[in-house]
Amino acid sequence: MSILIDSSTRIIVQGITGRRGRSHALEMLNSGSQLVGGTSPGNGGEWCFDGRVPVFDTVKDCVDATDADVSLVFVPPHSAADAILESIDCGIKTIVSITSSIPLQDMMMIKVAISKSDSILVGPNSPGVFVPGVANAGIFPADIALPGIVGLISRSGTLCYEALEILTAAGIGISTAIGLGDDPISGMDFLTCLELFEADPHTDQIVLIGGPGGNSEFKAASYILEQATKPVITYIVGENLSPDLIRPFFPRTQRGSLESSGKKIAALSEAGAKIAKSLADVPSLINH
Amino acid sequence: MNLQEYQSKAILRKAGIPVPASMLATNAVQIKRIATEIGYPIVLKAQTPEPGRGKAGGVRIIHSDHEIENISNEIFKIVLNGRSIQSILVEKAFSFVKEYYLAILSDFDKGTPILRISEAGGATCLEPDSFSNAKTYECPIDINFGLKEYEVRNLVTKLDGEASLWKQFQRISLKLFDIYRQLDASMVEINSLVVTHQNQLYALDTKMNIDDQSLFRHEEFAETCQPSNQNFAKKQARKFNINYFDFPGNLGFVVNGMGLAYLTLDKLTQENLIPGPIIDIQEGPSSGSIATMAELLFSDPKIYAVVVDVFGGMTRCDELAEGLLLAEGKNLQHKPVFIRLKGTNAEKGKKMLQSRDYFSFYETTENLMNAAIKYLGELG
Repeated sequence: MSILIDSSTRIIVQGITGRRGRSHALEMLNSGSQLVGGTSPGNGGEWCFDGRVPVFDTVKDCVDATDADVSLVFVPPHSAADAILESIDCGIKTIVSITSSIPLQDMMMIKVAISKSDSILVGPNSPGVFVPGVANAGIFPADIALPGIVGLISRSGTLCYEALEILTAAGIGISTAIGLGDDPISGMDFLTCLELFEADPHTDQIVLIGGPGGNSEFKAASYILEQATKPVITYIVGENLSPDLIRPFFPRTQRGSLESSGKKIAALSEAGAKIAKSLADVPSLINH
Repeated sequence: MNLQEYQSKAILRKAGIPVPASMLATNAVQIKRIATEIGYPIVLKAQTPEPGRGKAGGVRIIHSDHEIENISNEIFKIVLNGRSIQSILVEKAFSFVKEYYLAILSDFDKGTPILRISEAGGATCLEPDSFSNAKTYECPIDINFGLKEYEVRNLVTKLDGEASLWKQFQRISLKLFDIYRQLDASMVEINSLVVTHQNQLYALDTKMNIDDQSLFRHEEFAETCQPSNQNFAKKQARKFNINYFDFPGNLGFVVNGMGLAYLTLDKLTQENLIPGPIIDIQEGPSSGSIATMAELLFSDPKIYAVVVDVFGGMTRCDELAEGLLLAEGKNLQHKPVFIRLKGTNAEKGKKMLQSRDYFSFYETTENLMNAAIKYLGELG
């Protein structure tokens, strides 16, 4: 029915007593997601939301008590690396970093730790993983999507919301929606996500939303050409942007940063993906 | 954040990497005094964190006293990206037999540091494709174990250079990686790294960029980030964890997330228009920080209208509305604000904003941008 999370998933929030962590934890709880605990060093032993969610000092204590397998990271950027590494060390399967702007070299260390573990990191700067009707492991606006059989992946969080709204208006349901985040160094990329959707019997087509910069879309194109059996509909934002307009958005040290949307659209089109000229065109390209 | 050359050179010198003798000056009298001390010929180098000083005439060779007055005046008149030149590095001119490029960069796709060594040293490597045309070699570096001598050796043995240089390359590369780590740099570059007639490697010029997200743990740069070195808007933005992009057009933007920024920009580009300042509030800022940033748009007479395109997830549209009202309320000169609010608490936000009759509301980005572009068109 979904990838990364399902109805048996047990979710925790790292930073559950912070302003944003707390409010989104409550929304998750109210929307029926299985939130089993949270961490906040120094506040262990307390309970949140009228005794509904226990708080622990460490992820280890939290996992021992709750058997959690998904963690949402809401801690501030300066302690995000510590929080993510802690979750990897405790064997959390899926770590979603809502936190953005994590120091560059911290992200490099996290990438090494992830590659040596069985954990998957979604983000940083991810809006989360959303299985409509089952769990909203993140910050997706409530009631924005219907359950269904289309998988949705997007680098941009806001364009992910935008696409969900358009699909919902067209009556098209979602198996899983995932925001990968658009920070310079990311955890999971399009390729891994496509592989997961390919293996998910309840997803029968995939919508992929990309943009300028990086090479994630090119790796997706190779996969679509060589291995994917499910139809992929893509929208790549910024087709008309000149390099002069894009350049300020990227650190000048970023290699391949100016890979234009035009080039990506060409590569995806050649690989056999369906190309939407705008987000509004996406529903018409879906078989339903 | 880019360091200036004199700062980067001081860092290299402290690490034991050979650099030419140099001193910082802020006027012609000082330059003359330094020149007498280190001897002609000297090079005057404009100090700026902005790129493009070479092309602007900010690097000049001087052979005698009487050239100093005119040439230093010319350099102090240079303005790069709105920033004037405050100081000049006076450096002993150096003759050399060969130039190399040596850098520790960040590979964002793979998420590792990389070592890059190239024979395209000097100004040549600023041209596009120069690295693919000249002999250029790279290797990824394990962030935890660090750069190892054999990894440098694997690259330098491929260069057209004498074996006697290899040990120097190893030593300098390892030190450069230490600097990269210690400073939380996103790049440390020596260009060019020259071979002297005595077969010694010297760092003639260097650039360093410190990762903005890591500045909180580098108090040594607190001074460097002060307003004199950075415009007010960018400084405020950094404080609030908001992205601020300073484009020269007349339409200001408040968006959340780069995806929406690209979407709106794409629409402008199709009409051959350029944007004004873009404020990307990212996710979840407070209404106070939104107000401070938005006020920059409302108070700027160059901005004729403001476009607000926000799809709230963690960002609450009512908090955004509160911020906009706070900012807008401070300005007597009302300008049109084109608004599209979606997502978390959007209806509440809209209701709060509806009291202003020069605010207009749209359902899609397409309609929002069409209306804003039409308004600009009517202004001519």
